[in-house]
Amino acid sequence: MKALLLTFTMLMAANAFAVDRAKDPVATTKNETATNELKVGVKGMVCAFCAQGIEKSFMAQKEVAAIEVSLANKYVKIKFKDGQKLSNEKVAELLKESGYEAVFGG
Amino acid sequence: MVRIAGRERNFKFMRFLAILAILSIGGIAHAHPVSFKKGVGIMSYNNGEMNEVLLTYSFTHRFAAATTFLNDGDSEFLIPRANFLLKRWNNDDSQGNIYFSAGSGVETYDNKGYGAHLGEFVADWESRKYYTYFEHLYINRENQSNPMIPERDYNHTKLRLGFAPFLADYSDLNVWFITQFDRHMDEDKIEATQFMRFYIKNVLWEVGAGFNGNFAFNFMIHI
Repeated sequence: MKALLLTFTMLMAANAFAVDRAKDPVATTKNETATNELKVGVKGMVCAFCAQGIEKSFMAQKEVAAIEVSLANKYVKIKFKDGQKLSNEKVAELLKESGYEAVFGG
Repeated sequence: MVRIAGRERNFKFMRFLAILAILSIGGIAHAHPVSFKKGVGIMSYNNGEMNEVLLTYSFTHRFAAATTFLNDGDSEFLIPRANFLLKRWNNDDSQGNIYFSAGSGVETYDNKGYGAHLGEFVADWESRKYYTYFEHLYINRENQSNPMIPERDYNHTKLRLGFAPFLADYSDLNVWFITQFDRHMDEDKIEATQFMRFYIKNVLWEVGAGFNGNFAFNFMIHI
């Protein structure tokens, strides 16, 4: 059993190091016709597992076409559908519901 | 005489495993006990002697309702509980949290039901590079008929320290090395277990091995 665990662990570690680091962190795309976007700094967003709530929360909004999360640069980029947008207040509220704090104009 | 001594050793070992299983109810806190608004969490915690499943639903980012189901072979626990985020610090490069949980449920042993009540305190701090976690769990059990675990009150303190060997972004596979220290009840002994944690987006799993040869596998998903 220990040998199995060790083998599994080594495989996963090797896989991790093989990840394409240059990959763009774009998450999900609903609609390719997005024309405008908003980049918002996020305080406290240090964990991909936790930040998943942000993606889920924004993608549930009808105005949102796609969302991009960058842990390295500490921001989320919200791409809106044509002619639609969320107010800064709404964006801050959605981030708060996910457990984070918005920073505009950073 | 030798046979009696052997039986006594087996009894102590089985009792130790039973206590570990009970105390592993606190193992749910390998990730945050409260996630995001409308977030559902499913976690499975397993070792050679027990299995645990925890379901959580976060009404807000500060409150979640949860249920723990645990089976150690002798006793089954079903404990609904409430998890609260008491305080969060959102810093530029880190995050800190304080949680409190309380619950009351039932322990089924030998086809009889007994009350079981728990309280848990969790504090953690993490950055993209480092991770620290403290937990203290208290369980009050009404069942005193299980000879493996006759005590009514249990205390378990856990400390986890971890680091990421490289910084991964949102869509990458994240890897962490985590060492967990456990102190059970009023024992002087502290156990150490080495874990490797992996996660991609909303799926997390951990494999662990103790210095005493025990192993563990944890799995969690947020949806």
